[in-house]
Amino acid sequence: MGQKTGFKKGALLLSASLVLSTILGACSMDKAGSGTAAGGTDEITIMLPNFEAENPPENSPVIQKLEELTKVDVNLQWVPSSSYEDKFNITLASGKLPQIMVVLGKSPSFINAARTGAFWELGPYLKDYPNLSQMNEIITNNASIDGKTYGIYRARALGRNGVTIRKDWLENLGLEEPKTIDEFYNVLKAFTKDDPDGNGKDDTYGLVASKFTGPWDNMQVWFGAPNKWGDDGSGGLIPAHETPEYMEALKFFRQIYSEGLVNKDFAVMDATKLPDPFVNGQAGVMVDVADNAQRMDQKILDKDPNATGRVDVLQAMEGPKGLRDMPTSGYSGLIAISKSSVKTEEDLKKVLSFLDQLNEPELQALLYNGLEGKQYEKKEDYIVPSTEKLALRDLQGLNQILMFVPEDRTLRVQQTPVREKVAQVQKANEEIVIANPGEPLISDVYAQKGPQLDNIINDARIKYIVGQIDEKGFEDAVALWKNNGGDDYVKEVNELYAALK
Amino acid sequence: MNSRLYNSPAGKVFDIFNYVMLGILGILTVLPFLYIIGNSFATEAEITERSFFLIPKVFSFSAYEYIFSSSTIFRSIGVSIFITVAGTLVNLFFTLTMAYPLSRSDFWGRNVMMNMVIFSMLFGGGMIPTYLVIRGLGLLDSYWALMLPGAISAFNLIVVKNFFQQMPPGLEEAARIDGCSDLGVLWRIVLPLSKPVIATFALFYAVGHWNNFFSALLYISDSDKWPLQVMLRQIVLLSQASVGDMANMDPNFVQPPEQSIKMAVIVVGTIPILLVYPFLQKHFAKGVMLGSIKG
Amino acid sequence: MMNGKTDWNTNTTATAQADMATRPMRRESNWKRQIKRNKWLYVLVLPGFLYFVIFKYLPMWGIVIAFQDYQPFLGIRESNWVGLENFTNFFSNPDFFRLLRNTLVLALYDLIFFFPAPIIIALLLNEIRVAFFKRTIQTLVYVPHFVSMVIIASITYVFLTPQGGVLYDLIAWITGKPIDVLSSPGSFRPLIIVQMMWKEMGWGTIIFLAALAGVDTEQYEASIVDGAGRLRRMWHITLPAIRTTIVILLILRLGNFLDTGFEQIYLMTNSLNRDVADVFDTYVYTVGITQGAFSYSTAVGLFKSVVGIILVLGSNKLAKKFGHPGIY
Repeated sequence: MGQKTGFKKGALLLSASLVLSTILGACSMDKAGSGTAAGGTDEITIMLPNFEAENPPENSPVIQKLEELTKVDVNLQWVPSSSYEDKFNITLASGKLPQIMVVLGKSPSFINAARTGAFWELGPYLKDYPNLSQMNEIITNNASIDGKTYGIYRARALGRNGVTIRKDWLENLGLEEPKTIDEFYNVLKAFTKDDPDGNGKDDTYGLVASKFTGPWDNMQVWFGAPNKWGDDGSGGLIPAHETPEYMEALKFFRQIYSEGLVNKDFAVMDATKLPDPFVNGQAGVMVDVADNAQRMDQKILDKDPNATGRVDVLQAMEGPKGLRDMPTSGYSGLIAISKSSVKTEEDLKKVLSFLDQLNEPELQALLYNGLEGKQYEKKEDYIVPSTEKLALRDLQGLNQILMFVPEDRTLRVQQTPVREKVAQVQKANEEIVIANPGEPLISDVYAQKGPQLDNIINDARIKYIVGQIDEKGFEDAVALWKNNGGDDYVKEVNELYAALK
Repeated sequence: MNSRLYNSPAGKVFDIFNYVMLGILGILTVLPFLYIIGNSFATEAEITERSFFLIPKVFSFSAYEYIFSSSTIFRSIGVSIFITVAGTLVNLFFTLTMAYPLSRSDFWGRNVMMNMVIFSMLFGGGMIPTYLVIRGLGLLDSYWALMLPGAISAFNLIVVKNFFQQMPPGLEEAARIDGCSDLGVLWRIVLPLSKPVIATFALFYAVGHWNNFFSALLYISDSDKWPLQVMLRQIVLLSQASVGDMANMDPNFVQPPEQSIKMAVIVVGTIPILLVYPFLQKHFAKGVMLGSIKG
Repeated sequence: MMNGKTDWNTNTTATAQADMATRPMRRESNWKRQIKRNKWLYVLVLPGFLYFVIFKYLPMWGIVIAFQDYQPFLGIRESNWVGLENFTNFFSNPDFFRLLRNTLVLALYDLIFFFPAPIIIALLLNEIRVAFFKRTIQTLVYVPHFVSMVIIASITYVFLTPQGGVLYDLIAWITGKPIDVLSSPGSFRPLIIVQMMWKEMGWGTIIFLAALAGVDTEQYEASIVDGAGRLRRMWHITLPAIRTTIVILLILRLGNFLDTGFEQIYLMTNSLNRDVADVFDTYVYTVGITQGAFSYSTAVGLFKSVVGIILVLGSNKLAKKFGHPGIY
């Protein structure tokens, strides 16, 4: 009895609070809409992520030099990288956007914000700037939304993927660097069965892979499979997993797994553990980003400074359709300019001019390497970075606003043979990368069901490789994919593709 | 304690069984932490080579040197301690003052208020509306933003209220007859008798504050005010970024910190709070109620 | 509780009787008098009350996001209203039943296996008489609570990997055939529960130990004189004393019934066990990345909350029927 009246009264109180809060809430929702500093000529505010635990102090000599060179008062709003996405969304919701924002990915909230006018469309203005006008076409396309450029991309190596391999094992077994898929297979086999480290124990194997699907995606392209979307023969697009080359690749993977040439536990191994078997001398091959080679080399040397010349890096393996490499999208995030605090075209041009300047050699070196004598020592034709923590702190994170357009103009550290090879491989890859024609397309179906659809195919792929399902099982998965939205997805992508052509 | 009963054969067997089982349990549960401590004193090379070990072959203090060479870490430890202590006091103030009236059956409005509490426990507006409220109150970038939004945990409130309810009502009656006001009853009778309860929830709230990084990430932009956990999370997450994400991080510059440093940061970030419970244990002594009942 | 009787029925009646005694009979018309008499209670409750209004109810308007296609830049006022679309998307999802099944089964396992564990440990610890040993074990046992799930997942991998994990080899040796615990769908749920117990069991004992501290030692003495053995003492004195606490915690646990510890499951899921591993929480997370977490996760959260509150109120009523105090 007390409960019932209590409940009714409770409901009244509740509704009263809710009404009150709605009213108050709506009021506090009022978006000021004004940016930070007035105008934007002499002062520029930038929101950017910090991947370290400490921010550079405001009086960092590097920042001061930056202001000196650009004649702009630079105000940096640092956000810890682990909460960047959340902070970004909150900033969007608050309506008070800084003039420049680093956008870490084309998240739905960014896409929507761009489409509804939060950021300037930069395309028409870029031709006026010496550096920005040289933006790479493929990457610009990849970074676009509905064909429009809403930010300057932050370039990353396009041809970044390669094969890291134990050079000394090859030498021990008298093998040449593999160039074709068949040679690759033979090397994997030899690494597994022929005791490449010569210790008399059967404790080595060929390829190390982890939960991360990268290696399989990379190797598939060797076989002729497209990069996510391929030509269906009549001007449209089909998904990679429906091509016969994809299945060919899968059969190869299944074979090398069943022969023990890949680590048994790859499907459950965490991606961060990937380097360990390689560095510990259990695995001989890694298919991943090429710069991993220099990292592996460094780790091996840390363990044993005499262990030089152990690591080499190769491009892709030649398959039936020639030499093909899986690219990255060529960029990591964008630098966007908000309309709310950069109000006129004139202001926009000043901001663009600032950004253009950041691509000059002197500024690239400043924001990446720091100041000579403080963050690095200059030698003949290379630099030696300082290890002094306090000095490094003045520089930390400033590289986040670098765009590297049209190219990387920073100062090089001492080149080891491996580093040089990595640079070579990445450059050479640019000739053989297979672009993903669907990269710039933004699909609603994918937004709704994308990850689930991806899981259907990826899980089926893994299950096929380890032998849990057979070819029929994989086909069933593809049919499931189609039924659960795959067909709609393909249709929509083709429509978007046609519209953009 | 009558030893007669504990020494019966069945009692002895049970005892042995009990001690052994609990002993094993103790070892098993502390194992992961020993692993972390061991790793924090090891060299990077050894960590890569041996997948699991408790005692490193080669001792190295470099991880701790690295951590304690930075004044920001010290500062953030100070901030964490301050927030934990001050925040817990705030928690206790709000929770205890609200729990007591709710435990009284003659408190008109009790049911309404309980409904309000329970409803709020399960329904919430989410991150962005809460942020906007904090901002609207002008609390951004202040320590209050770390202490007020979580001032009362509905769960804790309900359990404390229930503990209060279980107190023998005769006690309060007796005190009231003696002329004690409600405040007096709370302060002089209820709270002293609830020491185990207060100690428990002080611990829960303290741990919550110590481990909380999300509020600081959201509400505090001034890095001078960042608690230890923010630093910790940055360092730990940095090396957790999957290999695929590496493509997004600048390949040449950002070096994931060594595993040993990661482990050392965890040790430094966890040991202080681990030691709180042993300190509070004396408040969990049995028979605390005993004296008052007799009186 | 006060007298020497150990029968748990008496306890309830004593409390209920005491309750009745302080409650005036003609309640409705006496509320004005009650407020006046207890005015200090209202002062006491004020800070907490304000807290709830400002920090819990004020932001609650955010729930309407569940009925929108919320975009942060547009804010609530300008975002499109989609009515029940988020909910229909969620329920008509072909995976819905699989997610529901996985979530429910895990929730039940958690309730049946994990929930009693801290209670049992607390009771066992209570029987230890060497104070040093008891305090030490108490402290050791809760340490995993502070170890991040990421590390626990990593350790689990190291021990159970088919590529040389110690436990993996051990299991293969004992049972004759190797079981890949990490990838086999059949072992996923037990693995999650065991991990969870390892990590949180010790922490859970703290509340019960606090409750046990309040048990009147006189009753033990009296019962020993009466000749009661260990087990009987536990059954008739110790358990009833913490019975209320257990019931409260159970009811509160039901409020979060459909919550499944996102981080742990996310870390332990892989392609081979996803069929049983995917739960609502991990699903919302993955969808959130492409779709924008807000509206969708708020909608699913709303669904979970509604289920939770039904369970809480329902179980509370049920508890009261059996004579337990319930949460209010």
